[in-house]
Amino acid sequence: MSHLSIETLVGLREPGTEPGTAAAREHLDACSACRAEYERLHQRVARLKALPSLRPGRDRWPTILGRVRSERRRRRARFAGVGGLAAAAALALVVGLGTFGAPEVGASPAEIQQAMGRSQALESALDRIDPESRVTDGRTAGIAQELEDRIARVDRRLEMAELMERQARDAELLRLWRERVGLLDALVDVHVTRASNVGL
Amino acid sequence: MTMTRTLSMESYLLADADSVVARARQGDETALEALYRAFEVPVYNLARRICRTTEDAEDVLQETFFEVCRSIRGYREEGSLWGWIRTIAASKALMRLRRNKYRDTDELHEEVVGRRKEDTHLRMDLEAALERLPEVSRAVVWLHDVEGYTHDEIAGMMGKTPSFSKSQLARAHARLRRWLGEEVIS
Repeated sequence: MSHLSIETLVGLREPGTEPGTAAAREHLDACSACRAEYERLHQRVARLKALPSLRPGRDRWPTILGRVRSERRRRRARFAGVGGLAAAAALALVVGLGTFGAPEVGASPAEIQQAMGRSQALESALDRIDPESRVTDGRTAGIAQELEDRIARVDRRLEMAELMERQARDAELLRLWRERVGLLDALVDVHVTRASNVGL
Repeated sequence: MTMTRTLSMESYLLADADSVVARARQGDETALEALYRAFEVPVYNLARRICRTTEDAEDVLQETFFEVCRSIRGYREEGSLWGWIRTIAASKALMRLRRNKYRDTDELHEEVVGRRKEDTHLRMDLEAALERLPEVSRAVVWLHDVEGYTHDEIAGMMGKTPSFSKSQLARAHARLRRWLGEEVIS
């Protein structure tokens, strides 16, 4: 009788029962060679877990803190001029649309590029608005913060989507880029409304 | 089992974690640094085991904690703190592999290293053998066997199927067994 393959031995460590597991365990009980191989596998994993910890050669915290502070400054500047009612209306619109969860079927690279281009244009529009000197109320800041947080969450999901298989990835990328455009639109709207309210 | 392991590791690395997280959520830089100091080594270790170079691993360390600082307010405490940070780190490390576009197919790997008489008299220590595995295989071995992720979880992070993860793990163990000079069933 042939011995168990490495695939089978590795699979035997998993919880649950896949097809053939019972027969493989039966063989393992009866075959000393396979039991020895299975034991070697366990020992190898135990040795992997016992490898010494590796440590970074440099302290990265100062760089990280610098980036965190820089982002905070940008965020404060961006939110400083947001109008409260307009922000609330924009956020309600974004939340209320509820279309972002719908799957995109047959997303083409051109559609993704279009959404990315729109997103970049909106980012540029936000960058051109300089509300640093304006005072904002707490409610407005909270709403704007939520919009910004949601954009950050979309960004993280965009990074994750890059790891997906192509067909699923393109559909997910298109859906996320469109969601990002919607959120950025909301931010731009409140900035524009704020500017017109103060006669700029 | 994974949860027990991560919880005990967390309490070992960071005393008074609840208080530190609460302060970190308010943007307290001292608390954010405490998080970094507590989890710097396990995050770097995970990154270094997955990435090819120390530079890549240090970049992953930096990206991970930048993300932690940005997202700590959204941490829901549904799992352990270390589990949350570790998933960010694993995702960043896998992303780094993808971005670097390492030429990582098995065929190429065999082409590059297959001429080193790996099946004959070469005995390596485990550290060297692990380092020598193709990036994706090494990542699967580390995430599954050491960090305790399931094949479903690894598949989700890699954008692959659980079968892919299982297959990579089995191939990696077959290679490790050969390179370590362990006796092979005849």
